[in-house]
Amino acid sequence: MKRTAAGLFFSIAVVGSAALGVSRAETVEQPPIPSIYSAAALYDVGNFYARMGRPALAVLNYERARVFAPTDTDIQANLRHVRESVGAPARTGGWLSQHDRLANPNTMYWIGLFGLALAGTSLLLLRRWTSSHRAVLRTGAVIGVAFMALALGDAFATASTLHESVVMFATPASASPVSAADTLFTVPFADVVSVRDEHGGFDLIIDSQGREGWVASRDLQPVIPRSEAVRGFRQVIHRPAT
Amino acid sequence: MNIQRLKWLSALMALTIASTGIAKESPAAVTQSIEPATIALGEASRLTIAASGADTSEITPPMVNGLEFVAVGQSQRVESVNGVTTSTTSVTYQVIPREAGVYTIPGAASGTPPVVLTVNPGSGGSGPSRGFATAQTPQVAPGVTPAGRADMNADGSAFVRLHLAKHELYVGETIPVDIEVGMRNGFVASLNGLPTLNGDEFTLNKLSSEPQKTEDVIDGKPFTVLTWHSALAAVKPGTLSLTVETPLTVRMRTRPDAGPFGEAGLDAFFNDPMFQNFFGASTEKEITVASKPANFTVLALPTRDQPADFSGAVGHFSVSSDLSDGKAAVGDPVTLRMRISGTGNFDRVSSPMLHDVARWKTYAPTANFEPSDSMGFRGVKTFEQPVIAMQPGAQSLPPVTFSWFDPSTRQYAQARTSPLPVDISPAPEERSVAHQLRPQANPSALTPSGSAPADAAASGLRADHVIKGRGAASMTPYYYQPKYLGVPSALLLALSGVWFWQRRREQAAADAIAEGNRPSLDPQPLINVMDDARTAGDSDLFFKSARAALQRDLASKWQLSPEAITLEEVSERLGAKSDVARLFTLADETAYAGTRLTTLDYQQWRQLVMGHINAKGMS
Repeated sequence: MKRTAAGLFFSIAVVGSAALGVSRAETVEQPPIPSIYSAAALYDVGNFYARMGRPALAVLNYERARVFAPTDTDIQANLRHVRESVGAPARTGGWLSQHDRLANPNTMYWIGLFGLALAGTSLLLLRRWTSSHRAVLRTGAVIGVAFMALALGDAFATASTLHESVVMFATPASASPVSAADTLFTVPFADVVSVRDEHGGFDLIIDSQGREGWVASRDLQPVIPRSEAVRGFRQVIHRPAT
Repeated sequence: MNIQRLKWLSALMALTIASTGIAKESPAAVTQSIEPATIALGEASRLTIAASGADTSEITPPMVNGLEFVAVGQSQRVESVNGVTTSTTSVTYQVIPREAGVYTIPGAASGTPPVVLTVNPGSGGSGPSRGFATAQTPQVAPGVTPAGRADMNADGSAFVRLHLAKHELYVGETIPVDIEVGMRNGFVASLNGLPTLNGDEFTLNKLSSEPQKTEDVIDGKPFTVLTWHSALAAVKPGTLSLTVETPLTVRMRTRPDAGPFGEAGLDAFFNDPMFQNFFGASTEKEITVASKPANFTVLALPTRDQPADFSGAVGHFSVSSDLSDGKAAVGDPVTLRMRISGTGNFDRVSSPMLHDVARWKTYAPTANFEPSDSMGFRGVKTFEQPVIAMQPGAQSLPPVTFSWFDPSTRQYAQARTSPLPVDISPAPEERSVAHQLRPQANPSALTPSGSAPADAAASGLRADHVIKGRGAASMTPYYYQPKYLGVPSALLLALSGVWFWQRRREQAAADAIAEGNRPSLDPQPLINVMDDARTAGDSDLFFKSARAALQRDLASKWQLSPEAITLEEVSERLGAKSDVARLFTLADETAYAGTRLTTLDYQQWRQLVMGHINAKGMS
């Protein structure tokens, strides 16, 4: 993205600033939530928090910006910079997990939709049209299927973000979802964890180092704010093992 | 009262006297304080003299030329800690200055330090200075409504008092108010709610659920006094009256006043609620106690000379401003701060800050109020506005103004900050973040709340982005939003529908072709051939066409192919001697041997054939 004057954090933030329930309001500002989400707006909010010395909130907003612009180098650079400047553990994952997304998921959605329409129409016309058009139609069908495949791949890759959360406060992880449970390890703040299950105010997480434990839900902020639809999808993807 | 109860009472009194004798009295000490220490002429302050371990007679009003002292209240607090009993008697005086000046009020007792009261002649104006403009900030002095039996409820068990700073105010002006609820010990069982205002002409700041609690002795009776410190504002002009009421549960006596001890003396003692309650001679009742009406003259804010940027702020304020950094690069945001401090209605203190400034890009400011008292009457409100320089060079941010109405001068006031210089350097080239990264920070230096030194994460950041176009209304990708999932589903359904429709049409066409290849079961063409053969006298063709016509007719009736309608099939179904069997046999014989038929024969055989064809069913 082009570098120019920005810092539009306040103008985009104030409207919904009270919506996100950060549990320890006395120790951290309410994170601004743009009324309209875009990579640039979220990135600017992340920069704002980085300048304020709030790395956890900065990481949260960078991660959110990365949802919309997965290949943006500025977001990746600032995210890496903030994480490293506070000693947050590096995110693990193979090449595939780092390059599985190409563009804004909403753009990929429309591309997939176009691919579906193109492939479907081409296959339908192939049954009727003369041989002189069949080569064009076959090409259209292949392109359509390719677009659909890209969109489906992006959808599956984005699905992992649905259950990612940022640790807002260094929090103990315990063996069971109760307050009196033994602490297994401490999850550092600004770490990005994967939430596998929820129970009574506790989330079962896997942190960036692959450790698993229950932490208080109030110490986490989901990268994608939870809605009923997302929560339902999360349960489908990560149905607790029985 | 019977003898047994008198024995109990005697034992109780003896125990009380003994314990009082055992308890040790702490040495006497006298302290004094004045609040507020700075007032304007025409206002009043409050001097409180507290004597520990002394009685009221030891406290005498001070004498200071130019000041008038009016006793307005007295309270006594008794504490017993680890057997040490401390008794503190406080007397409150209203201090009314006669003229402006600085007054030193001597200590009420030897060793007590004096207190200083500053009386300003009036509210001063405001004037700009380098980034700092001040206006005179007169303190609101709480005038005191004297307490007395007049605001007691009917049985003297409780009272509600209002302590108001003044009785003439402007619409929107906030004044401090103390609400006192006195509950006579033993009489009042419980406080059933917070004090509330009667009428909608005034607004009262939220009252704390934990008021200040003191013990007071009024007319020789012990009272527990709860005090709420709050702020009051009028919402419309006029001569208005205000009362405050609070719900209580009191204990009512159920025994007659006159007792065995006569009209005075011990009778009053034994009619005391403490003893009434002890012996179960009282019942509880919920009542509402109201304060005496406080009359106000509420003035409308003048419309003349009202500044354009006046937002309704009424009080005494001072304004200052600064920049987060005196140096910045083009495109880098700096924060312009304006602090408005003082006393007044901070909820109406607002400022648009800067907008439409040449060579600067400005954004909407945010505001944060930090009260310095519990009622939100005094404090500092800070406005922060991100601004971004668009051109390099030595520049300055223009002044910021703030207007308010000063009730002491009865005029509008306006403060204007000085221009703030800032050195803007050209925009730096894109720098690699890799070069900006600092060495790994020490995690132990981080605070547990998730914050870090601001510059630790801020330096080396890539610049902000320009927000273009429309963003998404939700963070959730379209894939996972039901309304967007419906679009591909509908498209897929439409495509499937077209495919099925297309397939059905193709199937119908194939069926039509297949139908065209199937032998016809309509006997009419063969009947026509039969008639032609009769006309021509061709018996062989006549019988062949007659047999074929019957085959088609029987095939359709028996659901068989015409080829399956043989002589054997006909003989089996209709009998070997049936007309149809005879016709089939005759057709074979004519084909091999030839048969000459008369016109009548032709007609009979035709009628036979037509009779079978026209028959509805044939088993």
